[in-house]
Amino acid sequence: MTLATGKVGIICCSGEDLAEGTISRVATRLVLEKLRPDQTVTLCLPLFLAGGEDERAFARVFPTIAVDGCSKKCAEAGTKKYSGKPVATILVSEVMKKYPHLKVKSRERLEPQEMELATKVAEEIAKTVDEILCKTAKK
Amino acid sequence: MQNSQEVKSQLAAEGKVAIIPCAGMDKALGSVARACAFIVVERLRPDKAVLICIPPLVVGAKPYSEIIKKYPVIPIDGCAGRCATKIAVKNGAKIGGRVLIPESVQKYNLKPKSASDIGPEGEKLAEKLAEEIAAEIDRLLGK
Repeated sequence: MTLATGKVGIICCSGEDLAEGTISRVATRLVLEKLRPDQTVTLCLPLFLAGGEDERAFARVFPTIAVDGCSKKCAEAGTKKYSGKPVATILVSEVMKKYPHLKVKSRERLEPQEMELATKVAEEIAKTVDEILCKTAKK
Repeated sequence: MQNSQEVKSQLAAEGKVAIIPCAGMDKALGSVARACAFIVVERLRPDKAVLICIPPLVVGAKPYSEIIKKYPVIPIDGCAGRCATKIAVKNGAKIGGRVLIPESVQKYNLKPKSASDIGPEGEKLAEKLAEEIAAEIDRLLGK
């Protein structure tokens, strides 16, 4: 990981317990690779939780967004515990409520409906990145 | 979704092995770790393997620490940082076996494509690793 200005760190739970964890993971990759590749970096949650000092230092200095699959909010809680509270938390289970026609079933491989939901979550993350960077630029 | 009661009921059952994949975000091998863990717990050894998700283990959102103290644990690490192993040990796990995927990449000469899409070679690598883990589970359980 390289420290840089004008970046937002995305920390997703990527939880294996639920399909929503897979959605959080895929949505985060979409933001990093397609929607906001120059404005975002990902912080690897397992590395962060295992004591990765670079990841923790980044989250202390730069704004972060936690992307959690469920209301347990493990990514948010872990970030808060070891660095600082994320500027925003995107909850996949909340985004799902806006799109009741999109069902999630598999935690292993996303079907077209699930990919559509992951794209919706990614768009919410990208929008939040823009808001954070806009506020930062005004300061 | 597994709730606490379900997780506790798993504790009551005998003969389990806990699988902890790193699922690292920034490397393709983290995605392979995740994929092979799913193959083990959903297809190869659904009655013998318990999947442990790292974030709730560390933040204490689920009683996973009880499971990893009771049953042998196989961490699946995607890189030399060995986060899954470190987290398991820190939380009192009894390590029963270990998988370091970079070693398996060399062993099988299969290279996953990317973190978003591990591709056919990544899928094949995940299958091979899952078979190794299933055999290790059988060994640990004396089957």
